[in-house]
Amino acid sequence: MATRVLSRQEMKIDCEDDVLLVRRRVQMLAQQRGFDPFATAALTTATSELTRNVWIHAGRGQAVVEEIAEGGRCGIRVQFRDEGPGIADIERALRGGYSTAGSLGLGLSGSRRLVDHLNIESAPGRGTVVTILKWARLR
Amino acid sequence: MVERQYMARLNMDDNELRRRLSAFEITEEDLQRLASLRPLAERHMDGIIDDFYKLLLSHEEMRVHFPDEATVRHVKRMQREYFLGLFSGKVDLRYVEDRLRAGAAHERIGVAPKLYLAAYSRYLRLILDRVMQDVTDVAQACQVYASIQKLVHFDMALALDTYLAASIDTITRHQAAIRELSTPVIRVYERILLMPIIGTVDSQRAQQIMETVLVRVVEEQARVVILDIAGVSLVDSQVADHLLETTAAVRLLGAQTILTGISAQVARTIVRLGVEIANMHTCSRLADGIELALRMVGKRIAPEMQQRSE
Amino acid sequence: MKVPILRIGRMLLASVQVELRDTVADAFQQDVLAAIEKNGADGLIIDITALDIVDSYVARVLLDTGRMARLLGAPTVLVGMRPAVAATLTRMGFVMDDVYTALNIDEGLHLLQGIAGRRLGA
Repeated sequence: MATRVLSRQEMKIDCEDDVLLVRRRVQMLAQQRGFDPFATAALTTATSELTRNVWIHAGRGQAVVEEIAEGGRCGIRVQFRDEGPGIADIERALRGGYSTAGSLGLGLSGSRRLVDHLNIESAPGRGTVVTILKWARLR
Repeated sequence: MVERQYMARLNMDDNELRRRLSAFEITEEDLQRLASLRPLAERHMDGIIDDFYKLLLSHEEMRVHFPDEATVRHVKRMQREYFLGLFSGKVDLRYVEDRLRAGAAHERIGVAPKLYLAAYSRYLRLILDRVMQDVTDVAQACQVYASIQKLVHFDMALALDTYLAASIDTITRHQAAIRELSTPVIRVYERILLMPIIGTVDSQRAQQIMETVLVRVVEEQARVVILDIAGVSLVDSQVADHLLETTAAVRLLGAQTILTGISAQVARTIVRLGVEIANMHTCSRLADGIELALRMVGKRIAPEMQQRSE
Repeated sequence: MKVPILRIGRMLLASVQVELRDTVADAFQQDVLAAIEKNGADGLIIDITALDIVDSYVARVLLDTGRMARLLGAPTVLVGMRPAVAATLTRMGFVMDDVYTALNIDEGLHLLQGIAGRRLGA
Protein backbone atom coordinates (compact mmCIF):
# COMPACT_ATOMS: atom_id res chain seq x y z
CA MET A 1 0.00 0.00 0.00
CA ALA A 2 1.27 3.45 -0.85
CA THR A 3 2.65 5.46 2.04
CA ARG A 4 2.36 9.21 1.83
CA VAL A 5 4.43 11.66 3.76
CA LEU A 6 2.20 14.48 4.99
CA SER A 7 4.90 16.50 6.71
CA ARG A 8 8.61 16.20 7.30
CA GLN A 9 10.93 18.01 9.66
CA GLU A 10 14.64 17.53 10.16
CA MET A 11 15.97 18.39 13.59
CA LYS A 12 19.55 18.45 14.82
CA ILE A 13 20.62 16.63 17.95
CA ASP A 14 23.78 17.98 19.54
CA CYS A 15 22.90 19.02 23.06
CA GLU A 16 20.53 17.92 25.80
CA ASP A 17 18.05 20.67 24.96
CA ASP A 18 17.65 19.06 21.53
CA VAL A 19 16.51 15.85 23.21
CA LEU A 20 13.64 17.82 24.71
CA LEU A 21 12.88 19.71 21.50
CA VAL A 22 12.59 16.57 19.36
CA ARG A 23 10.49 14.90 22.02
CA ARG A 24 8.13 17.88 22.33
CA ARG A 25 7.72 18.06 18.57
CA VAL A 26 6.76 14.37 18.41
CA GLN A 27 4.44 14.70 21.39
CA MET A 28 2.67 17.68 19.80
CA LEU A 29 2.22 15.88 16.47
CA ALA A 30 0.89 12.77 18.19
CA GLN A 31 -1.68 14.81 20.07
CA GLN A 32 -2.69 16.66 16.89
CA ARG A 33 -3.04 13.38 15.01
CA GLY A 34 -5.44 12.03 17.61
CA PHE A 35 -3.14 9.58 19.40
CA ASP A 36 -4.70 8.66 22.77
CA PRO A 37 -2.67 9.46 25.94
CA PHE A 38 -1.20 5.94 26.12
CA ALA A 39 -0.02 5.90 22.51
CA THR A 40 1.27 9.46 22.81
CA ALA A 41 3.27 8.60 25.92
CA ALA A 42 4.64 5.44 24.31
CA LEU A 43 5.79 7.18 21.13
CA THR A 44 7.16 10.22 22.96
CA THR A 45 9.05 8.07 25.43
CA ALA A 46 10.59 5.95 22.66
CA THR A 47 11.61 9.18 20.93
CA SER A 48 13.17 10.42 24.13
CA GLU A 49 15.16 7.18 24.59
CA LEU A 50 16.46 7.14 21.03
CA THR A 51 17.29 10.85 20.85
CA ARG A 52 19.19 10.49 24.10
CA ASN A 53 21.04 7.49 22.69
CA VAL A 54 22.21 9.62 19.77
CA TRP A 55 23.35 12.39 22.07
CA ILE A 56 25.07 10.09 24.58
CA HIS A 57 26.69 7.56 22.23
CA ALA A 58 27.45 9.67 19.16
CA GLY A 59 27.49 13.21 20.57
CA ARG A 60 25.50 14.52 17.65
CA GLY A 61 23.12 13.48 14.94
CA GLN A 62 19.76 14.14 13.44
CA ALA A 63 16.10 13.28 13.93
CA VAL A 64 13.70 13.29 10.97
CA VAL A 65 10.10 13.54 12.12
CA GLU A 66 7.41 12.63 9.60
CA GLU A 67 3.64 12.39 9.64
CA ILE A 68 2.56 9.64 7.28
CA ALA A 69 -0.70 8.28 5.91
CA GLU A 70 -1.36 4.84 4.53
CA GLY A 71 -4.71 3.36 3.60
CA GLY A 72 -6.82 5.70 5.70
CA ARG A 73 -4.70 5.58 8.84
CA CYS A 74 -2.20 8.10 10.12
CA GLY A 75 1.12 7.48 11.74
CA ILE A 76 4.24 9.18 12.94
CA ARG A 77 7.65 8.04 11.79
CA VAL A 78 10.89 9.22 13.36
CA GLN A 79 14.32 8.43 12.08
CA PHE A 80 17.41 8.93 14.28
CA ARG A 81 20.72 9.18 12.47
CA ASP A 82 24.21 9.48 13.82
CA GLU A 83 27.76 8.85 12.73
CA GLY A 84 28.84 7.53 16.09
CA PRO A 85 30.54 4.25 17.03
CA GLY A 86 27.64 2.10 15.78
CA ILE A 87 26.29 -1.11 17.26
CA ALA A 88 28.23 -4.36 16.82
CA ASP A 89 25.57 -6.82 17.97
CA ILE A 90 22.15 -5.43 17.04
CA GLU A 91 20.33 -8.59 18.12
CA ARG A 92 21.82 -8.37 21.58
CA ALA A 93 21.13 -4.65 21.86
CA LEU A 94 17.51 -5.31 20.96
CA ARG A 95 17.11 -8.10 23.48
CA GLY A 96 18.16 -5.66 26.18
CA GLY A 97 17.18 -6.76 29.60
CA TYR A 98 15.41 -5.77 32.74
CA SER A 99 18.69 -5.38 34.58
CA THR A 100 20.41 -2.99 32.18
CA ALA A 101 18.23 -0.11 33.31
CA GLY A 102 19.17 3.18 31.71
CA SER A 103 21.71 1.66 29.36
CA LEU A 104 21.47 1.51 25.60
CA GLY A 105 19.96 -1.94 26.04
CA LEU A 106 16.80 -0.75 27.70
CA GLY A 107 16.61 2.25 25.40
CA LEU A 108 16.44 0.08 22.31
CA SER A 109 14.60 -2.98 23.59
CA GLY A 110 12.21 -0.81 25.59
CA SER A 111 11.56 1.46 22.64
CA ARG A 112 10.78 -1.50 20.43
CA ARG A 113 8.02 -2.55 22.80
CA LEU A 114 6.52 0.93 22.67
CA VAL A 115 6.13 1.33 18.92
CA ASP A 116 4.64 -0.64 16.02
CA HIS A 117 7.89 -0.88 14.05
CA LEU A 118 11.52 -0.36 14.94
CA ASN A 119 14.31 -0.84 12.47
CA ILE A 120 18.06 -0.51 13.06
CA GLU A 121 20.80 -0.18 10.52
CA SER A 122 24.23 -0.04 12.07
CA ALA A 123 27.75 -1.38 11.93
CA PRO A 124 30.81 -0.65 14.08
CA GLY A 125 32.34 2.64 12.98
CA ARG A 126 29.60 3.24 10.43
CA GLY A 127 27.05 5.10 12.52
CA THR A 128 23.51 4.13 13.35
CA VAL A 129 20.11 4.76 11.80
CA VAL A 130 17.11 3.81 13.92
CA THR A 131 13.61 4.24 12.50
CA ILE A 132 10.45 3.96 14.56
CA LEU A 133 6.83 4.09 13.46
CA LYS A 134 3.62 4.22 15.43
CA TRP A 135 0.08 4.29 14.03
CA ALA A 136 -2.72 6.28 15.56
CA ARG A 137 -5.12 3.77 17.05
CA LEU A 138 -8.68 3.96 15.80
CA ARG A 139 -10.74 5.21 18.69
CA MET B 1 -19.95 20.41 8.65
CA VAL B 2 -19.58 16.72 7.85
CA GLU B 3 -17.73 17.49 4.64
CA ARG B 4 -15.07 19.33 6.63
CA GLN B 5 -14.41 16.16 8.61
CA TYR B 6 -14.15 14.19 5.40
CA MET B 7 -11.77 16.79 3.97
CA ALA B 8 -9.55 16.19 6.99
CA ARG B 9 -9.96 12.42 6.84
CA LEU B 10 -8.83 12.35 3.20
CA ASN B 11 -5.98 14.72 4.07
CA MET B 12 -7.42 16.96 1.40
CA ASP B 13 -5.30 20.00 0.70
CA ASP B 14 -3.88 21.65 -2.41
CA ASN B 15 -1.21 18.95 -2.70
CA GLU B 16 -3.65 16.09 -2.41
CA LEU B 17 -5.97 17.77 -4.91
CA ARG B 18 -3.10 18.09 -7.37
CA ARG B 19 -2.19 14.44 -6.90
CA ARG B 20 -5.78 13.38 -7.52
CA LEU B 21 -6.17 15.50 -10.63
CA SER B 22 -2.97 14.08 -11.99
CA ALA B 23 -4.08 10.53 -11.20
CA PHE B 24 -7.16 11.09 -13.34
CA GLU B 25 -5.08 12.94 -15.95
CA ILE B 26 -7.33 15.96 -15.65
CA THR B 27 -5.60 18.95 -17.17
CA GLU B 28 -6.41 22.63 -17.40
CA GLU B 29 -7.27 21.89 -21.01
CA ASP B 30 -9.97 19.44 -19.93
CA LEU B 31 -11.45 22.00 -17.57
CA GLN B 32 -11.42 24.74 -20.19
CA ARG B 33 -13.05 22.40 -22.68
CA LEU B 34 -15.81 21.64 -20.21
CA ALA B 35 -16.23 25.33 -19.40
CA SER B 36 -16.69 26.09 -23.09
CA LEU B 37 -19.52 23.54 -23.17
CA ARG B 38 -21.41 25.30 -20.41
CA PRO B 39 -24.04 26.97 -22.67
CA LEU B 40 -24.70 23.59 -24.23
CA ALA B 41 -24.91 21.98 -20.83
CA GLU B 42 -27.38 24.56 -19.59
CA ARG B 43 -29.58 23.92 -22.58
CA HIS B 44 -29.69 20.18 -21.96
CA MET B 45 -29.67 20.29 -18.19
CA ASP B 46 -33.37 19.90 -17.48
CA GLY B 47 -33.79 17.22 -20.11
CA ILE B 48 -30.87 15.19 -18.75
CA ILE B 49 -31.99 15.51 -15.16
CA ASP B 50 -35.60 14.62 -15.93
CA ASP B 51 -34.49 11.54 -17.84
CA PHE B 52 -32.09 10.66 -15.07
CA TYR B 53 -34.77 10.62 -12.41
CA LYS B 54 -37.20 8.80 -14.67
CA LEU B 55 -34.58 6.09 -14.95
CA LEU B 56 -33.89 6.06 -11.22
CA LEU B 57 -37.57 5.92 -10.30
CA SER B 58 -38.13 3.00 -12.65
CA HIS B 59 -35.74 0.93 -10.54
CA GLU B 60 -37.25 -0.62 -7.45
CA GLU B 61 -34.24 -0.41 -5.16
CA MET B 62 -33.56 3.17 -6.11
CA ARG B 63 -37.17 4.27 -5.87
CA VAL B 64 -37.28 3.79 -2.10
CA HIS B 65 -34.94 6.75 -1.69
CA PHE B 66 -37.49 9.08 -3.28
CA PRO B 67 -40.62 8.63 -1.16
CA ASP B 68 -42.51 11.71 -2.37
CA GLU B 69 -42.70 14.49 -4.92
CA ALA B 70 -41.05 17.01 -2.60
CA THR B 71 -37.97 14.84 -2.23
CA VAL B 72 -37.71 14.45 -5.98
CA ARG B 73 -38.01 18.21 -6.45
CA HIS B 74 -35.31 18.76 -3.83
CA VAL B 75 -32.83 16.30 -5.28
CA LYS B 76 -33.44 17.63 -8.78
CA ARG B 77 -32.49 21.07 -7.57
CA MET B 78 -29.31 19.68 -5.98
CA GLN B 79 -28.63 17.76 -9.14
CA ARG B 80 -28.73 20.95 -11.23
CA GLU B 81 -26.02 22.48 -9.09
CA TYR B 82 -23.98 19.35 -9.32
CA PHE B 83 -24.42 19.16 -13.06
CA LEU B 84 -23.37 22.75 -13.68
CA GLY B 85 -20.35 22.18 -11.44
CA LEU B 86 -19.01 19.77 -14.03
CA PHE B 87 -18.90 22.59 -16.54
CA SER B 88 -17.58 25.30 -14.22
CA GLY B 89 -14.03 24.99 -15.54
CA LYS B 90 -12.71 24.93 -12.00
CA VAL B 91 -11.81 22.06 -9.70
CA ASP B 92 -10.63 23.53 -6.42
CA LEU B 93 -11.01 22.62 -2.76
CA ARG B 94 -14.55 24.05 -2.72
CA TYR B 95 -15.48 21.82 -5.60
CA VAL B 96 -14.13 18.82 -3.68
CA GLU B 97 -15.99 19.88 -0.57
CA ASP B 98 -19.25 20.06 -2.54
CA ARG B 99 -18.65 16.57 -3.91
CA LEU B 100 -17.86 15.18 -0.49
CA ARG B 101 -21.02 16.74 0.91
CA ALA B 102 -23.04 14.98 -1.77
CA GLY B 103 -21.25 11.69 -1.07
CA ALA B 104 -21.83 12.05 2.67
CA ALA B 105 -25.52 12.81 2.12
CA HIS B 106 -25.97 9.64 0.05
CA GLU B 107 -24.10 7.55 2.55
CA ARG B 108 -26.22 8.98 5.37
CA ILE B 109 -29.54 8.05 3.80
CA GLY B 110 -28.17 4.59 3.10
CA VAL B 111 -27.80 4.56 -0.67
CA ALA B 112 -25.67 1.49 -1.32
CA PRO B 113 -22.44 2.11 -3.28
CA LYS B 114 -23.64 -0.22 -6.06
CA LEU B 115 -26.70 1.99 -6.62
CA TYR B 116 -24.62 5.12 -6.39
CA LEU B 117 -22.24 3.84 -9.04
CA ALA B 118 -25.10 2.52 -11.18
CA ALA B 119 -26.74 5.93 -11.06
CA TYR B 120 -23.46 7.55 -12.00
CA SER B 121 -23.10 5.24 -14.95
CA ARG B 122 -26.59 6.14 -16.20
CA TYR B 123 -25.93 9.76 -15.61
CA LEU B 124 -22.71 9.68 -17.59
CA ARG B 125 -24.47 7.94 -20.47
CA LEU B 126 -27.27 10.50 -20.52
CA ILE B 127 -24.85 13.40 -20.49
CA LEU B 128 -22.80 11.93 -23.30
CA ASP B 129 -25.86 11.07 -25.42
CA ARG B 130 -27.27 14.56 -25.16
CA VAL B 131 -24.12 16.60 -25.37
CA MET B 132 -22.70 14.53 -28.17
CA GLN B 133 -25.75 15.22 -30.31
CA ASP B 134 -24.55 18.79 -30.62
CA VAL B 135 -20.89 18.10 -31.15
CA THR B 136 -20.54 17.30 -34.82
CA ASP B 137 -16.78 17.12 -35.24
CA VAL B 138 -15.62 13.57 -34.42
CA ALA B 139 -12.20 14.54 -33.07
CA GLN B 140 -13.74 17.19 -30.86
CA ALA B 141 -16.42 14.75 -29.72
CA CYS B 142 -13.74 12.31 -28.57
CA GLN B 143 -12.00 14.98 -26.57
CA VAL B 144 -15.22 16.18 -24.97
CA TYR B 145 -16.12 12.59 -24.17
CA ALA B 146 -12.74 12.01 -22.49
CA SER B 147 -12.93 15.23 -20.46
CA ILE B 148 -16.42 14.52 -19.13
CA GLN B 149 -15.54 10.97 -18.32
CA LYS B 150 -12.39 11.94 -16.42
CA LEU B 151 -14.19 14.46 -14.25
CA VAL B 152 -17.13 12.17 -13.52
CA HIS B 153 -14.73 9.42 -12.47
CA PHE B 154 -12.86 11.92 -10.34
CA ASP B 155 -16.17 12.66 -8.60
CA MET B 156 -16.96 8.97 -8.23
CA ALA B 157 -13.64 8.41 -6.49
CA LEU B 158 -14.48 11.16 -4.01
CA ALA B 159 -17.87 9.61 -3.36
CA LEU B 160 -16.33 6.19 -2.77
CA ASP B 161 -13.76 7.66 -0.41
CA THR B 162 -16.59 9.22 1.57
CA TYR B 163 -18.32 5.85 1.81
CA LEU B 164 -15.10 4.22 2.90
CA ALA B 165 -14.36 6.85 5.53
CA ALA B 166 -17.93 6.55 6.81
CA SER B 167 -17.68 2.76 7.11
CA ILE B 168 -14.37 3.06 8.94
CA ASP B 169 -16.10 5.46 11.34
CA THR B 170 -18.88 2.96 11.90
CA ILE B 171 -16.42 0.14 12.52
CA THR B 172 -14.48 2.36 14.90
CA ARG B 173 -17.65 3.14 16.84
CA HIS B 174 -18.51 -0.54 17.05
CA GLN B 175 -14.99 -1.39 18.16
CA ALA B 176 -15.22 1.21 20.89
CA ALA B 177 -18.53 -0.27 22.02
CA ILE B 178 -17.11 -3.79 22.02
CA ARG B 179 -14.04 -2.60 23.86
CA GLU B 180 -16.15 -1.02 26.54
CA LEU B 181 -18.19 -4.18 26.88
CA SER B 182 -15.09 -6.35 26.99
CA THR B 183 -13.41 -4.43 29.78
CA PRO B 184 -16.08 -3.67 32.36
CA VAL B 185 -14.86 -2.27 35.65
CA ILE B 186 -17.11 -2.59 38.68
CA ARG B 187 -16.70 -0.59 41.85
CA VAL B 188 -17.32 -3.28 44.47
CA TYR B 189 -16.69 -1.08 47.45
CA GLU B 190 -15.13 2.28 48.16
CA ARG B 191 -11.67 2.19 46.60
CA ILE B 192 -12.00 -1.43 45.46
CA LEU B 193 -12.44 -2.20 41.75
CA LEU B 194 -13.28 -5.50 40.10
CA MET B 195 -12.66 -6.42 36.50
CA PRO B 196 -14.08 -9.77 35.43
CA ILE B 197 -12.14 -10.92 32.37
CA ILE B 198 -14.13 -13.20 30.10
CA GLY B 199 -13.20 -14.92 26.86
CA THR B 200 -9.97 -14.74 24.94
CA VAL B 201 -7.14 -12.46 25.96
CA ASP B 202 -4.90 -11.55 23.05
CA SER B 203 -2.23 -8.89 23.29
CA GLN B 204 -4.52 -6.13 21.99
CA ARG B 205 -7.18 -6.93 24.56
CA ALA B 206 -4.56 -7.30 27.28
CA GLN B 207 -3.42 -3.78 26.48
CA GLN B 208 -7.01 -2.49 26.71
CA ILE B 209 -7.43 -4.25 30.02
CA MET B 210 -4.28 -2.67 31.39
CA GLU B 211 -5.12 0.82 30.14
CA THR B 212 -8.70 0.66 31.42
CA VAL B 213 -7.56 -0.59 34.81
CA LEU B 214 -4.90 2.12 35.15
CA VAL B 215 -7.23 4.95 34.16
CA ARG B 216 -9.96 3.74 36.51
CA VAL B 217 -7.56 3.25 39.43
CA VAL B 218 -6.49 6.88 39.18
CA GLU B 219 -10.04 8.15 38.54
CA GLU B 220 -11.48 6.32 41.54
CA GLN B 221 -8.27 6.56 43.59
CA ALA B 222 -8.73 2.84 44.12
CA ARG B 223 -6.37 1.02 46.44
CA VAL B 224 -7.12 -2.48 45.19
CA VAL B 225 -8.03 -3.96 41.80
CA ILE B 226 -9.39 -7.48 41.62
CA LEU B 227 -8.81 -9.19 38.28
CA ASP B 228 -11.08 -12.21 38.05
CA ILE B 229 -9.86 -14.63 35.40
CA ALA B 230 -12.40 -17.43 36.01
CA GLY B 231 -13.95 -16.71 32.62
CA VAL B 232 -10.74 -16.62 30.60
CA SER B 233 -10.86 -19.46 28.12
CA LEU B 234 -7.13 -20.09 27.93
CA VAL B 235 -4.39 -18.99 30.28
CA ASP B 236 -1.02 -19.48 28.61
CA SER B 237 2.33 -17.86 29.29
CA GLN B 238 1.42 -14.80 27.23
CA VAL B 239 -1.76 -14.18 29.18
CA ALA B 240 0.15 -14.70 32.42
CA ASP B 241 2.78 -12.19 31.29
CA HIS B 242 0.09 -9.64 30.49
CA LEU B 243 -1.45 -10.09 33.91
CA LEU B 244 1.97 -9.61 35.51
CA GLU B 245 2.55 -6.48 33.48
CA THR B 246 -0.80 -5.06 34.57
CA THR B 247 0.02 -5.87 38.19
CA ALA B 248 3.38 -4.12 37.89
CA ALA B 249 1.82 -1.03 36.31
CA VAL B 250 -0.93 -0.87 38.94
CA ARG B 251 1.76 -1.01 41.61
CA LEU B 252 3.54 1.97 40.05
CA LEU B 253 0.37 3.98 40.57
CA GLY B 254 0.36 3.04 44.24
CA ALA B 255 -2.40 0.41 44.20
CA GLN B 256 -2.47 -3.38 44.46
CA THR B 257 -3.82 -6.18 42.33
CA ILE B 258 -5.51 -9.38 43.46
CA LEU B 259 -5.86 -12.17 40.93
CA THR B 260 -8.90 -14.36 41.52
CA GLY B 261 -10.75 -17.14 39.78
CA ILE B 262 -7.65 -19.28 39.37
CA SER B 263 -8.59 -22.87 38.69
CA ALA B 264 -6.45 -25.86 39.61
CA GLN B 265 -5.67 -26.26 35.93
CA VAL B 266 -4.47 -22.65 35.63
CA ALA B 267 -2.39 -22.96 38.80
CA ARG B 268 -0.63 -25.96 37.27
CA THR B 269 -0.10 -24.11 33.98
CA ILE B 270 1.34 -21.05 35.70
CA VAL B 271 3.81 -23.08 37.75
CA ARG B 272 4.80 -25.30 34.83
CA LEU B 273 5.41 -22.26 32.65
CA GLY B 274 7.66 -20.87 35.34
CA VAL B 275 5.79 -17.57 35.52
CA GLU B 276 7.02 -15.53 38.45
CA ILE B 277 3.93 -14.82 40.54
CA ALA B 278 5.50 -14.48 43.97
CA ASN B 279 4.61 -10.77 44.05
CA MET B 280 0.95 -11.32 43.27
CA HIS B 281 -1.95 -11.69 45.64
CA THR B 282 -3.95 -14.64 44.35
CA CYS B 283 -7.13 -16.43 45.40
CA SER B 284 -9.03 -19.22 43.77
CA ARG B 285 -12.44 -17.80 44.65
CA LEU B 286 -13.67 -14.29 43.93
CA ALA B 287 -15.32 -14.13 47.37
CA ASP B 288 -11.95 -14.66 49.04
CA GLY B 289 -10.46 -11.97 46.83
CA ILE B 290 -13.12 -9.50 47.94
CA GLU B 291 -12.48 -10.32 51.60
CA LEU B 292 -8.75 -9.82 51.08
CA ALA B 293 -9.37 -6.52 49.28
CA LEU B 294 -11.55 -5.30 52.14
CA ARG B 295 -8.84 -6.19 54.64
CA MET B 296 -6.37 -4.18 52.54
CA VAL B 297 -8.53 -1.08 52.88
CA GLY B 298 -9.07 -1.72 56.59
CA LYS B 299 -12.55 -3.29 56.49
CA ARG B 300 -13.79 -6.77 57.10
CA ILE B 301 -16.84 -8.89 56.61
CA ALA B 302 -18.12 -10.36 59.89
CA PRO B 303 -21.15 -12.50 60.72
CA GLU B 304 -24.15 -10.51 61.97
CA MET B 305 -24.30 -12.35 65.32
CA GLN B 306 -20.67 -11.72 66.09
CA GLN B 307 -21.07 -8.04 65.29
CA ARG B 308 -23.96 -7.75 67.75
CA SER B 309 -22.04 -9.38 70.54
CA GLU B 310 -19.10 -7.04 70.04
CA MET C 1 14.68 25.73 37.40
CA LYS C 2 14.75 23.97 40.75
CA VAL C 3 12.58 21.29 42.21
CA PRO C 4 10.88 22.72 45.32
CA ILE C 5 11.33 20.70 48.50
CA LEU C 6 8.83 21.18 51.33
CA ARG C 7 9.00 19.87 54.86
CA ILE C 8 5.84 18.34 56.32
CA GLY C 9 6.60 17.42 59.93
CA ARG C 10 9.27 14.73 59.77
CA MET C 11 8.70 14.15 56.05
CA LEU C 12 10.05 15.82 52.94
CA LEU C 13 7.96 16.50 49.85
CA ALA C 14 9.60 17.14 46.49
CA SER C 15 7.26 18.08 43.63
CA VAL C 16 8.83 17.54 40.25
CA GLN C 17 7.26 20.16 38.00
CA VAL C 18 9.89 20.40 35.29
CA GLU C 19 11.50 17.94 32.93
CA LEU C 20 14.48 16.42 34.73
CA ARG C 21 17.44 17.19 32.52
CA ASP C 22 21.00 16.33 33.55
CA THR C 23 21.66 19.60 35.34
CA VAL C 24 18.24 19.73 36.99
CA ALA C 25 18.43 16.07 37.95
CA ASP C 26 21.81 16.51 39.64
CA ALA C 27 20.67 19.58 41.55
CA PHE C 28 17.47 17.78 42.54
CA GLN C 29 19.38 14.81 43.97
CA GLN C 30 21.81 17.03 45.83
CA ASP C 31 19.10 19.27 47.26
CA VAL C 32 17.02 16.34 48.47
CA LEU C 33 19.97 14.55 50.07
CA ALA C 34 21.28 17.76 51.64
CA ALA C 35 17.85 18.44 53.15
CA ILE C 36 17.69 14.94 54.66
CA GLU C 37 21.26 15.17 55.93
CA LYS C 38 20.76 18.58 57.50
CA ASN C 39 17.64 18.08 59.58
CA GLY C 40 16.93 14.40 59.19
CA ALA C 41 13.70 13.02 57.75
CA ASP C 42 11.62 9.92 58.31
CA GLY C 43 10.69 9.73 54.67
CA LEU C 44 10.70 11.35 51.27
CA ILE C 45 7.73 11.85 48.98
CA ILE C 46 8.45 12.51 45.32
CA ASP C 47 5.36 13.83 43.56
CA ILE C 48 5.42 13.28 39.79
CA THR C 49 1.82 14.22 39.00
CA ALA C 50 3.08 16.91 36.63
CA LEU C 51 5.20 14.56 34.50
CA ASP C 52 3.45 13.33 31.36
CA ILE C 53 6.58 11.59 30.08
CA VAL C 54 9.01 9.55 32.17
CA ASP C 55 11.72 7.90 30.10
CA SER C 56 14.26 5.41 31.45
CA TYR C 57 16.69 8.23 32.22
CA VAL C 58 14.24 10.11 34.43
CA ALA C 59 12.99 6.86 35.95
CA ARG C 60 16.53 6.02 36.94
CA VAL C 61 17.12 9.46 38.45
CA LEU C 62 13.98 9.01 40.57
CA LEU C 63 14.93 5.48 41.53
CA ASP C 64 18.52 6.43 42.40
CA THR C 65 17.34 9.36 44.48
CA GLY C 66 15.04 6.98 46.36
CA ARG C 67 17.91 4.53 46.98
CA MET C 68 20.21 7.29 48.18
CA ALA C 69 17.55 8.70 50.49
CA ARG C 70 16.98 5.26 51.94
CA LEU C 71 20.68 5.00 52.75
CA LEU C 72 20.23 8.21 54.75
CA GLY C 73 17.33 6.61 56.59
CA ALA C 74 14.48 8.14 54.61
CA PRO C 75 12.38 5.58 52.74
CA THR C 76 10.95 7.05 49.53
CA VAL C 77 7.47 6.93 48.11
CA LEU C 78 6.70 7.94 44.55
CA VAL C 79 3.24 9.47 44.20
CA GLY C 80 0.92 10.66 41.45
CA MET C 81 2.25 8.64 38.53
CA ARG C 82 -0.06 9.00 35.53
CA PRO C 83 -1.66 5.91 33.94
CA ALA C 84 0.13 6.38 30.61
CA VAL C 85 3.48 6.75 32.38
CA ALA C 86 2.92 3.57 34.40
CA ALA C 87 1.93 1.66 31.26
CA THR C 88 4.95 2.92 29.35
CA LEU C 89 7.46 2.10 32.07
CA THR C 90 6.17 -1.43 32.59
CA ARG C 91 6.00 -2.01 28.86
CA MET C 92 9.66 -1.07 28.64
CA GLY C 93 10.45 -3.55 31.39
CA PHE C 94 11.37 -1.01 34.02
CA VAL C 95 10.89 -2.28 37.56
CA MET C 96 10.86 0.04 40.55
CA ASP C 97 10.97 -2.39 43.40
CA ASP C 98 13.21 -0.19 45.54
CA VAL C 99 10.70 2.60 46.09
CA TYR C 100 7.22 2.63 47.55
CA THR C 101 4.37 4.02 45.49
CA ALA C 102 1.12 5.73 46.45
CA LEU C 103 -1.80 7.28 44.61
CA ASN C 104 -1.45 10.75 46.08
CA ILE C 105 0.47 12.83 48.60
CA ASP C 106 -1.93 12.06 51.47
CA GLU C 107 -1.54 8.34 51.01
CA GLY C 108 2.19 8.67 50.58
CA LEU C 109 2.39 10.54 53.85
CA HIS C 110 0.21 7.95 55.56
CA LEU C 111 2.37 5.13 54.21
CA LEU C 112 5.61 6.73 55.41
CA GLN C 113 4.16 7.49 58.82
CA GLY C 114 3.18 3.84 59.10
CA ILE C 115 6.71 2.74 58.23
CA ALA C 116 8.25 5.22 60.67
CA GLY C 117 5.85 4.06 63.41
CA ARG C 118 6.71 0.40 62.85
CA ARG C 119 10.37 1.25 62.94
CA LEU C 120 9.98 3.03 66.29
CA GLY C 121 7.90 0.19 67.63
CA ALA C 122 10.52 -2.41 66.70
